[in-house]
Amino acid sequence: MLTILGGLILLAVGAGFVGALSGLGGGVFIVPALVIVAHVPMYAAVGASLISVVATSAGASVAFVRDGWTNLRVAMLLECATVTGAVAGAYMAGHVSPWILELLFALVMLQSAYFTIHKSDTEYLPKSDALSEYLRLDGEVPDDEAKPIHYGVRNVPGGSALMLVAGITSGLLGIGSGALKVIAMDYIMHLPLKVSSATSNFMIGVTAGAGALVFLARGAVPAAIAGPVALGVTVGALAGSRVLPHANVRALRTLFVVILVLIAIEMGWRALSGI
Amino acid sequence: MANALDSPHSGQVSSFEVQDENRILRRWTPILLRTILIIATIILVIGVGLMAAQTGGAYVSRYRAIQAGKVYAREPWGDLFRQTIGGDPHAIVTTGLMVLTLVPLARVAFCFLLFIRERDWIYVLFTAYVLAGLVFGIVLGRVG
Repeated sequence: MLTILGGLILLAVGAGFVGALSGLGGGVFIVPALVIVAHVPMYAAVGASLISVVATSAGASVAFVRDGWTNLRVAMLLECATVTGAVAGAYMAGHVSPWILELLFALVMLQSAYFTIHKSDTEYLPKSDALSEYLRLDGEVPDDEAKPIHYGVRNVPGGSALMLVAGITSGLLGIGSGALKVIAMDYIMHLPLKVSSATSNFMIGVTAGAGALVFLARGAVPAAIAGPVALGVTVGALAGSRVLPHANVRALRTLFVVILVLIAIEMGWRALSGI
Repeated sequence: MANALDSPHSGQVSSFEVQDENRILRRWTPILLRTILIIATIILVIGVGLMAAQTGGAYVSRYRAIQAGKVYAREPWGDLFRQTIGGDPHAIVTTGLMVLTLVPLARVAFCFLLFIRERDWIYVLFTAYVLAGLVFGIVLGRVG
């Protein structure tokens, strides 16, 4: 018994550690770890993962809020879309076949791998468009000399549309959808990359929380799995965030991409062969 | 983000008040989140510890049942509360998980109150929508 419980915790520690180090979050790794290694049904893995995403994001976002990198107005506006998507996704997760979830998960893994390779900063937008200006979404970031640099925001409808998709994938697949959120804010709305990452971190907990509440209220989060996983992922994520400043992330990036592609192949194979 | 919470939609808000809001937000958000997180973690550690101390293969049989596809266990919240007080490990862990989900709820509720204090009605509306969405999720989970 202790072997199973200990094994689950260790698996979750590993997923949380790699998730924090890669910047993709624990959910991306804990769902396949539970499905492939622990032979847990996809639906139970999604419920357990959503809870662990809530646990890790709560700690991760605190520093960003404290240091002023999080754009709270952008977060609150876009959370309208992600929460709508997450509740819909979590509801749908209880009504679609596991192989569809596994296939979608494989596709999201490939998207995350692509994002890990192509992550790049966009230039600061000097002025917001009319809607963003009305909603006062612009902000300031400190540069190296601690002088604030102003940035503008644009294309709120485009960003919100992608955020709706990010919410649906979060609720359906038990992940934070951080990669999609950063793409929406960085590429579509032209926020600086660090502001996008910090704001995404802030939002992930709320998005995953919306999905987790549906699962919990439905009684679909098995305590025997979710309890040890939540504790393990939190410990792993804490350790990962401590190691991160000293790690050569650029060198590790190739390793993360290989892991993501292997997970995509395995999950895709499971989906198509009906294992 | 020095002006993250100043508002064009509010009444006249002085820069002193805006700085005060930022100070409140930055000081109290981490404290609020950490307090809930610590309470949830303590409950989870107790629950998982009791799971590990269970004898007679109770944990293994539950784990195998989940592997076999028995995932759903929707119980009335009154029963869950009684089992938690009675020391049932699985009920304690479920309670811990519920407390954990209060973190995002509390975060949004905190921003909601701040925007009300600023009389920034557009963002009060956005945060109210997010809060309503979270509550709707609970209702949907109970009935769907």
